[in-house]
Amino acid sequence: MPLIIKIMLFSLLCSLPAWELVWRLLNDELGANPVEFLEHATGDWTIYFLLMTLTITPIQKVFKPNWNKWLFPMHVVRRVLGLSALAYALLHLATYLVFDMGLSLDDTITDIIERPFILIGMIALTLLVPLAVTSTAGWQRRLKQHWQTLHKAIYLLTFLGILHYALLVKADLLQPLIYLGLFGILMLFRIRIQR
Amino acid sequence: NALDFSKNQNYQEKLKLTDPEHALHYNNFYELGTSKEDPFRNADKLKTDGWQVVIEGECAKPQTFDMDDLLKLEQEERIYRFRCVEGWSMVVPWIGFPLSKLLSKVEPNSKAKYVEFISIEDPNLPGQRFRVLDWPYREGLRMDEAMHPLTFMATGIYGESLPNQNGAPIRLVVPWKYGFKSSKSIVKIRLVEKQPLSSWMVATPSEYGFYSNVNPNVSHPRWSQAKERPLGSFFKKKTLMFNGYENEVASLYKGMDLKKNF
Repeated sequence: MPLIIKIMLFSLLCSLPAWELVWRLLNDELGANPVEFLEHATGDWTIYFLLMTLTITPIQKVFKPNWNKWLFPMHVVRRVLGLSALAYALLHLATYLVFDMGLSLDDTITDIIERPFILIGMIALTLLVPLAVTSTAGWQRRLKQHWQTLHKAIYLLTFLGILHYALLVKADLLQPLIYLGLFGILMLFRIRIQR
Repeated sequence: NALDFSKNQNYQEKLKLTDPEHALHYNNFYELGTSKEDPFRNADKLKTDGWQVVIEGECAKPQTFDMDDLLKLEQEERIYRFRCVEGWSMVVPWIGFPLSKLLSKVEPNSKAKYVEFISIEDPNLPGQRFRVLDWPYREGLRMDEAMHPLTFMATGIYGESLPNQNGAPIRLVVPWKYGFKSSKSIVKIRLVEKQPLSSWMVATPSEYGFYSNVNPNVSHPRWSQAKERPLGSFFKKKTLMFNGYENEVASLYKGMDLKKNF
């Protein structure tokens, strides 16, 4: 199968959760609080894809799979996962801007200033944008060793994304703590790998 | 389980009722789990057979009421707005009786300044295996709030007995306060002299106060309360002062700083 077809199929797979939401939307299956449903689903998938992106390097180091044989080069797998995270984060932001803020710039600015969890979410999403822009092979060549340094920002922004969720919760922190635990395990791998 | 009730004509405001599909499946009832679908999913874990409500404390005639006796009190239907502190809302036809009717049976004495409501505690309730809140769930009202004609004990909803996920077999409904003040599955009511601590005040004192009146002008520390999203709707509407019951209840708080007494 040509590489481009494989990449397209993999991207399509990553977009399936979004299609499920579209299906639910069209069939009135978003429940009693449809906006909350969309926000939680797109937020969860953003974190899942960030965690999956962070899983690629440990898999590489531990199992040394032949990515080219089974799929395509490792950095392409990682790139599609990272870009998917951005896509879900943008859907998350769009839902918030349209349905929570009613597309009012004033309300949005007030919300960012008054609510730390909104500010933190905004910072996390903003940090993701330069990583997406510089995710191409061309940028990787141009930035040389700085590329890796820049892309370490994913550690910070994933943490901020999880914090954004934890700060929203009323009392039951179980789910954000599970995400934090998974993130911690993935970070421990990196410390051990570097040693 | 149809109930025998009459429609109270004073409380039949022409409001669009929330689709029961939403009101009966999207619930905050942490005893049955913290996600919105958990209470419906785990509803059978709540056992309501032989339910009794104890009323004790500062009163002349402390008593234990069997649920059957409470159902023999005259039941009426009232349509109330309901506003959750999280920013969603609904309009629901409750069935039940005013709390004042029940409290007058035990003859509160002059030391009864506050009323404390205590909900079920049972190790079989899946949510109570975790100390998400300080169990059992406790809430409180000032005596004059408790005796207010709007304050209601609900035994039914949409013409039928309360389903477990909505707080069966008997719950409080205080329509001008955020939903968490309306305790579910109540087993004990205590008349007390000092202001009681609610479970939410213990959990997060900076966010949940004793009064918790619906107020679009006082934000929750983490989100605005100016608007609300009716269940089933994509867009928000403005939240009303005291949830639309300003004429009836504003006088209870005359001279009080509502920002301080949140």
